[in-house]
Amino acid sequence: MAEAAIAARPAARRTTVMPYWLCAPALALYGLLLAAPLAMIFVLSFNGFSDTKGILPTYSLANYVSVLTDPYYQRIYLRTLRIALITTAICTLIGTPEAWILSRLDPRWRGVSLLVVLGPLLISVVVRTLGWTILFAREGLLNQALLGLGLAERPVDLLYTETGIVVALVHVLVPFMVIAVWTALRLVDPAGEAAALSLGASKAKVFRRVVLPQALPGVLSGSLIVFSLAASAFATPALIGGRRLKVAATSIYDNFLFTLDWPTGAAIAVILVACVMAIVLLWSRVLERRDAVRA
Amino acid sequence: MSFLQLESLTCRYGDFYAVRDLDLTVEQGEFVSLLGPSGCGKTTTLQMIGGFIEPSAGTVRIGGADMRRVPANRRGIGIVFQSYALFPHMRVAQNVAFGLEMRKVPRAERAERVRRALAMVHLEHAADRYPRQLSGGQQQRVALARALVIEPRVLLLDEPMSNLDAKLREEMQLELRRLQRSLRVTTIMVTHDQTEAMALSDRIALMRAGRIVQVDTPQAAYDRPADWFASSFLGKSNSFRARCVPGGLLTASGVRIAAPAGAPESGEVLCALRPERLRITPPEQGMLRATVQSRIFLGSHWLLQTEGEAGELLVYLQNATAAAPQEGDAIGLAWEPRSLVLLPPDEAPAHG
Repeated sequence: MAEAAIAARPAARRTTVMPYWLCAPALALYGLLLAAPLAMIFVLSFNGFSDTKGILPTYSLANYVSVLTDPYYQRIYLRTLRIALITTAICTLIGTPEAWILSRLDPRWRGVSLLVVLGPLLISVVVRTLGWTILFAREGLLNQALLGLGLAERPVDLLYTETGIVVALVHVLVPFMVIAVWTALRLVDPAGEAAALSLGASKAKVFRRVVLPQALPGVLSGSLIVFSLAASAFATPALIGGRRLKVAATSIYDNFLFTLDWPTGAAIAVILVACVMAIVLLWSRVLERRDAVRA
Repeated sequence: MSFLQLESLTCRYGDFYAVRDLDLTVEQGEFVSLLGPSGCGKTTTLQMIGGFIEPSAGTVRIGGADMRRVPANRRGIGIVFQSYALFPHMRVAQNVAFGLEMRKVPRAERAERVRRALAMVHLEHAADRYPRQLSGGQQQRVALARALVIEPRVLLLDEPMSNLDAKLREEMQLELRRLQRSLRVTTIMVTHDQTEAMALSDRIALMRAGRIVQVDTPQAAYDRPADWFASSFLGKSNSFRARCVPGGLLTASGVRIAAPAGAPESGEVLCALRPERLRITPPEQGMLRATVQSRIFLGSHWLLQTEGEAGELLVYLQNATAAAPQEGDAIGLAWEPRSLVLLPPDEAPAHG
């Protein structure tokens, strides 16, 4: 014991410095590519703007005040949050059982099924969303089928609706949920399910009382990923929501590219980041408290 | 009628038989071990009893009732898994209470039974801890308490000690035996550890390649193995080929030795001889001559490896006499004729 402690000491010192050096390249890259642009956007959001002179070298909270008090932007933020929350809820409901089934499949089928689940990630979001617009269009496949089968009297509007955006976002984001839950379930001993069965639990009880609580860290972290991706999604709302139904990301885009009001766009972006970060931090606090109770 | 009956139980995957035509009857309160090397089908058998694997053919009967259409959660069987399979997100008391909760036992009675079950395995103080805060041995005892608290009709143990270190294993064996005897719960244990099987079981079912080779009490299985596999799997064993002749046996090297009572008068046999039954004598007084090749000191006894007229023979020598023979010494080997077990010669290993 004593010998081991002595031998470990120089190694311990080395390991206290090494991690920083090893992290340095990644940190530099991160700082350069993420922190710097964010900081610049942050500064930009305080700049003044005039239609004739462009960005003014003055600094005030005016952009924030005008965005936050404008009912138009309030609606956009609410819509963004609503879409993100509903998408997260649906992804959780679909992704969790999906991951469980995947993790209990015969290894031969598991590989194939995992590929099918993750396959959509290999195709560009734009292409996938365009696929949805073809399906959703008034004369699209979905409406033709519904009318043809007599399930609907009139064509159902999905294009340019929140429902349409949610459906397409769920399709795009479910794999992230599956991956997160799957990772958590890989650490779960399958014998626990057999044990619960032998103790008299029904299959549903096994899932609720044994599998789900153990998958919960994965479900929570997965919903975190899905939520932040859904709240900041651009391509899907842009293509399905069109010009009529804007979310935060698309209105930032419009401010930067069409009205050229960069400071207002920056303010919208900062508010979005702040909202998402607040929710994410709150969420991880809940997560950590849960872990602290269990430890 | 026997309490647990396995009738020509078979589990087949394509052309591969994991278990084939297995028959076994276990009495109420009996402790039977399924012993065998890995891949012999013992765990598959356990899972068919537990209801986790559907038998391809054959029947499992518990208390006379056919279990074919009875799912695992209605069989009333307690199982202790190799990995313990405790629920990591529940406290120890919640783990133990789970089965009672599923049976809708009232809260007050539940608490009392959990308390008693934990007391039974000496873990009253750990009720509020989480499994990961316990040592391996403690987790094992929680798993046992959880399986026993539902008062199972049958207790199944799947390699219950394999994750414990040697000293703890011995303690747990004593503990398990005490519990099983006092509760009189019918128990089937799967193990590949022959000492564990012998220490705990009323009877051992020795398995190989999906079939039962021999079912016997530990002592009977050890002293009268059915074939070479049984003889070599339970404890250490020597073997040499011999030919039966009237009034004795002739070894391959032509030495005549005494035959045990009831030996046939002709034909080839495989002789099995336990190392502890061999005695060392001066070279000219033994039944066989041999030379000590190597010796290992094991504390309570010596293990001698000898080479002689019947090939290689291992000898256990009590560490009681003054001197063990040195390596290279010429010695004689002797034994009681009844210690010699004659086995069919067909499945002999390449060398003893």
